[in-house]
Amino acid sequence: MLFYSFFKSLIGKEIVVELKNDMSLLGTLDSVDQYLNMKLLNVEVTDAEKFPHMLAVRNIFIRGSVIRYVHLPADEVDVELLQDASRRDAAQAKASAKVQASQAKSQQQKGGHGGGGGERAVVPAS
Amino acid sequence: MAAPARTNPSDFLKELSGRPVVVKLNSGVDYRGLLSCLDGYMNIALEQTEEYVNGQLKKKYGDAFIRGNNVLYISGSKTKK
Amino acid sequence: MAATAALEAAGDHQLAEITVEEPLDLVRLCIDEKIYVKMRNDRELTGVLYAYDQHLNMILGGVVEVITVTEIDPETYEEIYKETKREIPMLFVRGDGVILISPPTRGS
Repeated sequence: MLFYSFFKSLIGKEIVVELKNDMSLLGTLDSVDQYLNMKLLNVEVTDAEKFPHMLAVRNIFIRGSVIRYVHLPADEVDVELLQDASRRDAAQAKASAKVQASQAKSQQQKGGHGGGGGERAVVPAS
Repeated sequence: MAAPARTNPSDFLKELSGRPVVVKLNSGVDYRGLLSCLDGYMNIALEQTEEYVNGQLKKKYGDAFIRGNNVLYISGSKTKK
Repeated sequence: MAATAALEAAGDHQLAEITVEEPLDLVRLCIDEKIYVKMRNDRELTGVLYAYDQHLNMILGGVVEVITVTEIDPETYEEIYKETKREIPMLFVRGDGVILISPPTRGS
């Protein structure tokens, strides 16, 4: 969620999205979702000679999983905010992992999983 | 050092903490170091890490975090460091 | 386990500060530090870590990316390594490409 919120704050700004197939797209970030799928407006391919078929493209939806990097406008990024948010996010992720682990444990004690004579569920160490 | 009658793989991994290990990645690269800890994704933290490419020492890291999806196996290493 | 109890007693605020008990803690301790990242496809990054999440998505500042390509000399069949360097002021890195993260000052 951290990066989803971050990219929402960049909507309307120019970014360069570099894909895993080495294509780079410069455009204005129009929208983003929780998977970091992104929609760009006024797209230009930075290496047009290599990807001439992209020349006519104006607007594009990019699946999050094909993104390698996003080049960000440095002056639009509040690094201190990011650092604090990361620490908070890490603590939160840890806390919820702990809750899940203890829930799994009590399930086991109740025999909630059924079967599994003597087997133990694999629970990430808290 | 007889192992208990029935353990599972994650018990084995727990026992490796603090010990020298070899971690092989899908790419074939080996990492040798002291296992600090690992989690359910098989993300790994190593200390005094050495990176071996084609069996040759390429690089050393003080601490290293390895993303779990790259891990092929984790093995206890006999070589004392 | 005593350590865990102590952590819980310390409360959520302090939780963020102490010790490496899981691998991601190592990354947390690198916030605002210069780190080295080994990526898939023979790419290496160095930069200051500003943000990360459980997937190892990251935002790095002052990034230098080195791409190493191996070519085989058609005559001698020797491997030739070519390095290309790029500088990027502020970069979001998608976690699925990450192999290894290390604080470079103590290593390499």
